Amino acid sequence: MITIDRFSYHSGLRYVNTGEKFAFSVITLVLCVGSRSVYLAVFVLLAMGILTIKKGKIPLGGYLRLLSVPVAFLGMNSLVLGTSIRQTPLEVFSVRFGTWYLTAGRETICYGIQIFVTAMAAVSCLYFLSCNTTMTDIFVLLRRWKCPVLIVELMLLIYRFIFVLLDRGQAVAAAQKSRLGNRDYRTGIHSFGQLISCLFISSVKRSEALFDAMESRCYDGEIRVLEEEYPPKRKEIFGILAFELWACFLIWIGR
Amino acid sequence: MEEIILKARNLKFSYEGSRQLALNDFSLDIRRGTKVAFVGSNGSGKSTFFLCCNGIHRPGSGTLYYDGKPVDYSRKGLLDLRKKVGIVFQDPDNQLFSASVYQEISFGLLNLGVTKTAAKEAVERIMEDMDIGSYREKPVHALSGGQKKLVSIADVLVMEPEIVIMDEPYSFLDPKHTRLVNQAVDNMSTKGITVIMATHDVDYALSWADEVVVLHEGRVLGQGPPREIFSDPALLHTANLTRPAVMELYDSLCQKGILKQGLLAPKNMEELFLELTKNR
Repeated sequence: MITIDRFSYHSGLRYVNTGEKFAFSVITLVLCVGSRSVYLAVFVLLAMGILTIKKGKIPLGGYLRLLSVPVAFLGMNSLVLGTSIRQTPLEVFSVRFGTWYLTAGRETICYGIQIFVTAMAAVSCLYFLSCNTTMTDIFVLLRRWKCPVLIVELMLLIYRFIFVLLDRGQAVAAAQKSRLGNRDYRTGIHSFGQLISCLFISSVKRSEALFDAMESRCYDGEIRVLEEEYPPKRKEIFGILAFELWACFLIWIGR
Repeated sequence: MEEIILKARNLKFSYEGSRQLALNDFSLDIRRGTKVAFVGSNGSGKSTFFLCCNGIHRPGSGTLYYDGKPVDYSRKGLLDLRKKVGIVFQDPDNQLFSASVYQEISFGLLNLGVTKTAAKEAVERIMEDMDIGSYREKPVHALSGGQKKLVSIADVLVMEPEIVIMDEPYSFLDPKHTRLVNQAVDNMSTKGITVIMATHDVDYALSWADEVVVLHEGRVLGQGPPREIFSDPALLHTANLTRPAVMELYDSLCQKGILKQGLLAPKNMEELFLELTKNR
């Protein structure tokens, strides 16, 4: 979360219009998931990676580390999807458990790979958006698209409090460690419980203090702030259109 | 005599669920355009009084006057009061909430009903004045402690209040940001803003303030010019305060005959040094 947040503030694509970035990543994601084309998925995975690293100037190592999280999760899922438990073995491999087989055929493996690549492409679309767009800009976009004010304000405060509580949590955890609060499993569990209760109390107190501070600046129930805009550029819009047309072409040849 | 801008008479206030009075018969006068330092141990009532000044807390009894009129606790009355009295909270993390510095500073202004164009101009101006433009697009959580403090001051100053209350503004600041906050405070005084500051630094209170208010257990123990207040050992003892180092040094130099007794005690080391080198 902190890494993505930091990337987004230093991204080379930060000042590209948020609507463009949002449309680009969401349309591509929908095409990937809707078509489940392996050609398109591989193309999107590469294109999003190159755009994020080259244009967004996100460090390669950092980006690969981000991708490694869904790789582990989706890899396990695809493994389950790519194999099946049957009474008759399939052609690629089979492991016998009594009268049942853990087995895989060409078709099930292809299905597993298709799901894995499609899901990774979808994740790369979302990483493109989150690594190159600050939360500030996303809130502005949501407001402009008439998303309910209450939801946007809650998102804003949750976003702020994640960092406040993370700081507090890290400080408490360090204080616990410095006094051997994690010397064995039992103590560790006890310390963790105390950390959670401390964070809960802290979040209540901080939210009260924040409310007082907001009231002191004439808060009347609606958060009004100035928004900065980055207008869309024709060149970028044509680029996005060309990309999506190429994506459609890849879907067509993959059928 | 300068006009009284803020007057408290017999304020009493206690927090919910507590029998102890956080403010107990609290009375004082604050003159327009002055620099007032509030000193006293933790829990002496400084922060509670500050929140009363802004209408966040409503005293259980007693009256608070702003500009000669009792504070009106209606919605409109509170809005008027908060326009004129701004608070910079001790912990900026309790004050800052927006996703960027630019948005953060605009929050109070837009709540006052200022147009977006005027708000944009004012935000740009204050960022330039306080030299914080370089991190205008940063999220507030990505700022250092000192930067957060400067932004929290800008938050309040952009609303152009008549009184700025600062609750221990120098806590956790490094020397560089202490200097920057000092500059901001000096600029406020130059503009004629009444500045009220809670501090534990008696040396700073002596050198900076026009008046010092000593608090103890929710009461005002003493109020007056810094030299007078810090020359009263009984008062300082009751409030658990120490004498400023420069006054101690000055007394010691007088006792040793290096300086003449009876001179006006210096307010800071610079004045003491000038006194020492005057006839050499």
